[in-house]
Amino acid sequence: MILDLMQHLLNGLMLGSILALPALGLTLIFSVLGFVNFSIAAQMTAGAYAGWLVNSHFKWPLVPCIMVAFFVAGAIGVAGDRLALKPMRKKVNANTPLMVAIVSIALNLALENGYRFLFGNELNSYDLPLVRDFHFLGLGIGPQQAQNLLIALVMAGVLAAFFSLTRLGKAMRAVADNADLARLKGINPDSLSNIATFIGMGLAGVGGALLAVDTSADPSTGARLLLLIFASSVVGGLSSLSGAIMGALFIGVASEMSMFFISPVYKSAIAFVAIVLVLLVKPTGLFSGLSGAKR
Amino acid sequence: MREQRRNFIIYSGLGLGAVALPSLLFAQDSGPIKIGVLIPLTGSTSQFGATMSKAASLAAQEINAAGGVLGRKVEIVIEDDQSNPEAAVRAVRKMIDLDKVVAVCGSYASAVTSAIAPICWESKITLLTASGADSITKLPHQGYIFRTSPTVTLQGTRLGNFAVELNAKKVFFMGPQTPFAKSYIDIITGIVTKAGGTCGGLIYEDKKTTYRTEVDQALKAQPDIIVLGGYVPDTAVVLKDLYRANYSGKRMGLSFGVNQKLIDGVQKEVLEGTYSLVPSAAVSSQAYKNLIAKMHLDGLDTYSCQVYDQINLVALAIAQGKIATGVGVRDNIRSVSQVASPSQQAPIVENFPDGAKLIAAKRVINYDGASGPCEFAENGDVKGVFFRYEQIQAGKLVTIKVA
Repeated sequence: MILDLMQHLLNGLMLGSILALPALGLTLIFSVLGFVNFSIAAQMTAGAYAGWLVNSHFKWPLVPCIMVAFFVAGAIGVAGDRLALKPMRKKVNANTPLMVAIVSIALNLALENGYRFLFGNELNSYDLPLVRDFHFLGLGIGPQQAQNLLIALVMAGVLAAFFSLTRLGKAMRAVADNADLARLKGINPDSLSNIATFIGMGLAGVGGALLAVDTSADPSTGARLLLLIFASSVVGGLSSLSGAIMGALFIGVASEMSMFFISPVYKSAIAFVAIVLVLLVKPTGLFSGLSGAKR
Repeated sequence: MREQRRNFIIYSGLGLGAVALPSLLFAQDSGPIKIGVLIPLTGSTSQFGATMSKAASLAAQEINAAGGVLGRKVEIVIEDDQSNPEAAVRAVRKMIDLDKVVAVCGSYASAVTSAIAPICWESKITLLTASGADSITKLPHQGYIFRTSPTVTLQGTRLGNFAVELNAKKVFFMGPQTPFAKSYIDIITGIVTKAGGTCGGLIYEDKKTTYRTEVDQALKAQPDIIVLGGYVPDTAVVLKDLYRANYSGKRMGLSFGVNQKLIDGVQKEVLEGTYSLVPSAAVSSQAYKNLIAKMHLDGLDTYSCQVYDQINLVALAIAQGKIATGVGVRDNIRSVSQVASPSQQAPIVENFPDGAKLIAAKRVINYDGASGPCEFAENGDVKGVFFRYEQIQAGKLVTIKVA
């Protein structure tokens, strides 16, 4: 029983580690630009395909594939933002954040169907050997998933250093805190919005590539996780970067643990329940007190 | 006041008349006869969508090349159900309300068929489906549903029997939430228990990215065969997670989950030895051989054969009944596809042109298609189907037997 509990916990952490990077990206974009960019699912898929293309054609190993995924997803993310979302943001009124979020959903669907047109509906597995679990104290651990967890942690660490040590990172935090004040200090929020989108969508792309290594790249790779990622961000407070990671791990563990009590058919309900509870009980998010881009 | 009301009634009457006028002018017996084809071209059940679409177009071409039906061309209206009941409902409404189709063919996923069936029978439109869930023909469909695919009961029975044949003592079913998942578990459990074994089951949520915990739960039962009830995307993930978890027992699935698409998309070592049961087209029949020759293919899945047969059946039923309506199709399909009594003599036809000629000569016909004999029980279920048993060996599907 204890062993089962530990195994579920472990599986949940693994799932959470895949959610963590896109949740970070979503949170970063929200805290700098002030709206939820739902096209993040399509950018995950972009990363999954980009990594798969270089992996299956040039036989590149995992880490370079992930870097390609980062840059491609980031670039497509910025392009989508400038073409579809920025014109929308310029029309400022009370509904702007909502309108932009809705346009981002439309952008997401358009991109997803674009991939379907380009690559078809097939599943595409990375050309990497599938590794069997190793067993440790009676617990099964997948080396591939452990690797994903490690990569996610490293990226989160690099990001944390970027925000606390570099001028650019500090400028982003300043914009996130108060855009007008930042502008007075000579920071141009517009140019920062491109960088934030690039990094945020790049992170989503890496998440998508890692996910595709685990499963496969197909047009709906990212869409399958969108709800869980959104839930992670909400639980994390939507504007705290460390909160996003905690939120992702929380959602991952909660949805795997839920199988102790309810049928696996209702696993997704956990994410919905988490969103509802958090918004009712602590609208700023469970982990919003943690330091991040926005304090 | 009264004047106003009278004017209102007069004018609105005139308006309504004007709206109705075009449909009165273009009454049913001119222009092409439209047949709806609802198939999954995208989404999780789309693996046969492309060939289904081609087979449907081929059937329509043949009918038109032979002069059409009742002197009118046949036009097929193909819509994508996106593997999604909600999209399917919209598509069917469009076909019935705007295109005025006389029948809807195709409809593959059971969830899709269950959603559109009531719309069809309430609009008095005949539905010919390639879905398997038993519940479909149990609906109060007033005879408007014809099923050319084997039922889940039949498929589940085959799975259970095959597991017993492979000497399985502990069987475990894993599949997504579908209208037929629970039936599979019940049927397989019945068969395996009778043979002295045990059977467990787990129904999971579709479209997940990981099934680690589900696989852990399944493996706790230490099964020697795992039966996979899912479609390609989730089956791929489950098989990968089974591989990672070091499961070494047998695996079997049905052709909508274990097929060439799965092989193309998943690493070889994960799939090796997996069995697949395929409701088979009548591969040894002349009808099947002619169809694949016409389509320039080496082989064809049963569902595409079924769509081809469905459109031929609709056209022949219209020719036979001389009436191009949903009711006419419903009432005449049996008279072109099966003999009324064993003593009745009826030449077997396998395509529309041959059938149409015989009907014109006032002969009774019996359509046997590429998918099988196309004879329907009272409730609309097809009788007599074939299955092909396959196994993945070194990255290829190898046929073990057809029975």
